[in-house]
Amino acid sequence: MRPLTDDETKVLFEKLTKYIGRNIVHLIDRPDEPYCFRLQKDRVYYVSEDIMRKATAIKRQNLISLGVCFGKFTKTGKFRLHITALPYLAQYAKFKVWVKPNGEMPFLYGNHVVKAHIGRVTEDIPEHQGVVIYNMADVPLGFGVSARSTVDMRKIDPTGIAVFHQADNGEYLREEDTLF
Amino acid sequence: MDVTGILDEHKSRFKSVQVDRLIPPEIDLGMLASFDINMINDAKLKANQNTRDTYLKELSREGAQLLINEIFSLPTTVDDDGIYASLPKATTVLPREKPVPKEKLLTRWEKFAKIKNIQKRKKSRMAFDEEQGEWRPRYGFKGINNDDQKPWLIEVPGNADPYADQYQARRQEKKERVEKNKRRQQRNAEEGVATEKGLKPQEMRKRELQKALVMSKGSTASLGKFDEKLKGEPKIKGLKRKFDPLVSTVDKEKSKNMDILNRVAKKESSATVLNVRKAQRAINNSKRKQK
Repeated sequence: MRPLTDDETKVLFEKLTKYIGRNIVHLIDRPDEPYCFRLQKDRVYYVSEDIMRKATAIKRQNLISLGVCFGKFTKTGKFRLHITALPYLAQYAKFKVWVKPNGEMPFLYGNHVVKAHIGRVTEDIPEHQGVVIYNMADVPLGFGVSARSTVDMRKIDPTGIAVFHQADNGEYLREEDTLF
Repeated sequence: MDVTGILDEHKSRFKSVQVDRLIPPEIDLGMLASFDINMINDAKLKANQNTRDTYLKELSREGAQLLINEIFSLPTTVDDDGIYASLPKATTVLPREKPVPKEKLLTRWEKFAKIKNIQKRKKSRMAFDEEQGEWRPRYGFKGINNDDQKPWLIEVPGNADPYADQYQARRQEKKERVEKNKRRQQRNAEEGVATEKGLKPQEMRKRELQKALVMSKGSTASLGKFDEKLKGEPKIKGLKRKFDPLVSTVDKEKSKNMDILNRVAKKESSATVLNVRKAQRAINNSKRKQK
């Protein structure tokens, strides 16, 4: 376990701003308890300072997980968000897409969101922007990248892809062994 | 008259020239040294000081006696000053003080000459200058290859520009020859260094280049921290990564993260284009409020 370097922090923040914009501030500067980002075996964990201090007593090889896993750095140095980061993304998301009940299951099985399944959309989503996907009862299901801007979304046919799938709650089952 | 008594007395005053040793000691006359490998009497050596001293003295005397016996058996020459024994060459091999000098590395030409079996022939220092009709050095001061001894007339070659300066061309040619030779000298030296290190010359050159790259990257005010990465830039080996302490003060880490966030957010906001619809809506809203 170690703190992120400047470069790594930059890559992480660049990815997070795609979903929550400047709301990262609320992750860094929390009123309740100090939280920090820590790297352990290529994975970035968002963890309270208190738990992090306790985890320092554990050998690096033996430490499996701590706090909330936000994602991992690939071998090429890019950052990939995991579904485990969803609670924080959903809380501060800038752009949201609500899917109809008939579109919930297809998405939770790892498919892209087609236009026919979209119930509601935040206005002014640009193209290729990170969006968080909810069901109509406002339960976050996952996140993805907008395939079209909100305006263009209206023009495409019902079977056209509106949001590219990135992660969904189904991964808790599908990728149980590699997720954390 | 019986003189045996007197002789015995005389004899007892001097020690015997005969020395008995179980293993005959090695004697190196060239070095005037004798090496005795017989066992030392341990009991005498560990006894009181007096016994030890006399024992050691006796031992060394006997060694010296043997050496002197050998010297007297050498052929001698008689001179006005006295009698001289000529010593043979030393047989003891002493270790070298300095390391064995390295074999000089062959230049490219020397390697080639070796393969082709080209012998180096000695040229005389002086050469006959036919134009002047005198012997002059091949090179150097007043040498025949010097430009100060240039011919008063040069024939213009058939295909050359008649107005070109042939003297200039001559000078230029020589300059180029010298340059070329210098380059080859340099190359030979570089290759020599590389082979001494057990590397291929190309590998060596690559390493040198990388070293220079690292040096130049670290020569900015920020020690290369904010430098753009070159395309295909090799990863610097041997540099130790340095991380922040795992547990530091909360504020420090927070402020650092904020700095980075500000930088990222600035870049992000400058990258996004003006959203016309949003702008229109904002204007409309403000107008409605004014009403």
